[in-house]
Amino acid sequence: MTQTFEHLARGFRALLIALALGFAASGAHAHGLNVFAFVENGEVVVEARFSSGRVPTEGTVRIYDDADILVATMALSEDGALRFPLTGAARESGLRIEVDAGSGHRDYWLLTPADIAAGLDASG
Amino acid sequence: MVATVNYPLAYFAERLAGTEQVSVLFPVPADRDPAFWRPTIADISEIQSADLIALNGAGFADWVARASLPRARLVDTSELFAETLIETESITHSHGADGEHSHTGTASFTWLDFEQAATQARSLATAMERRIPAVAVGLHARLADLEADLMALDAEAEDIGTALSGVTLVATHPRYQYFARAYGLEIVSLDWDAGAMPEDAQWQALSDLMSGTGAEVLIWEAAPPEEAMVRAADLGLAQAVFPPLANRPAEGDFLTAMRASLDALGVLALELATD
Repeated sequence: MTQTFEHLARGFRALLIALALGFAASGAHAHGLNVFAFVENGEVVVEARFSSGRVPTEGTVRIYDDADILVATMALSEDGALRFPLTGAARESGLRIEVDAGSGHRDYWLLTPADIAAGLDASG
Repeated sequence: MVATVNYPLAYFAERLAGTEQVSVLFPVPADRDPAFWRPTIADISEIQSADLIALNGAGFADWVARASLPRARLVDTSELFAETLIETESITHSHGADGEHSHTGTASFTWLDFEQAATQARSLATAMERRIPAVAVGLHARLADLEADLMALDAEAEDIGTALSGVTLVATHPRYQYFARAYGLEIVSLDWDAGAMPEDAQWQALSDLMSGTGAEVLIWEAAPPEEAMVRAADLGLAQAVFPPLANRPAEGDFLTAMRASLDALGVLALELATD
């Protein structure tokens, strides 16, 4: 039963990612990079992809709090993703996560406290 | 609560709600352009809690693709005419293994074709009726009133289109693609900052555009400094201020502000005809 739920949760999450990245690509001012972030197993997962489908192999990830103050800067992994632990403060305030993959390819994702709570619920 | 991404949709939602039980959220500050506004996390949290989130579509407000919004509570009000949206020029550049490529855009000020605006109002009404039962009583009558007002704007704009047939207009910002298409106007666009005094190079670009197109009319997106209007008049341009109303007007509402803009264009057309 638990496995089935986890399987469904993974499938739902994959659908959300596909919808988010696909939807972002349709924006009038989308400039080639789409960013999506979610919470899984107590971590924030950031995924970036060019609108061509290619994965950026490097980039800078900037994390902002709810007052839009920069709280951390990290590097994107070669697979175009980044995982980092969710802090208590972030859980309360939410995060704005910006990825800069260079050449003007920059985008962000807004993760609200409700999104974080839903992610924590879904991953148990 | 109905959350909206621009003022036209907020105005339509206010007209359609018909009850104080239903609030309309349009969170963009008055001095910001809703097309490029970036919400805070608190803004998104409030929007996520809305019963209905009214999107303009056509790529308007790119933040909607940068947050989790509940799909069952979204309505894309331009979906019914998505096939006829206007593509804008593309940005071409290259980087890394992607090589040279383009990012095309979509003209997003859809409501400036007032028939399209009426379609958006109908889509919004349908979604409100489905998601918010409290609005159902009298909704169809309120929608009919709103549609009648929008179609009156459409008729006035048709007359202006006829009166300005063969006249090239210059707009200070590329906002009027649907207005031009709907009413048969030839509008070429600059990319000036709203309400600011243009720099010398921008005036030169305007002069060059006039030479190349024979333009006789300048449409200001927002009221400019008086000295800017004097300088444009010195170039021989007839002028009108026509705010596209993506954000709430300082005075009046969508209907009165849009009527004022159309009236100004009508007066200008008469002046050109008598010159």
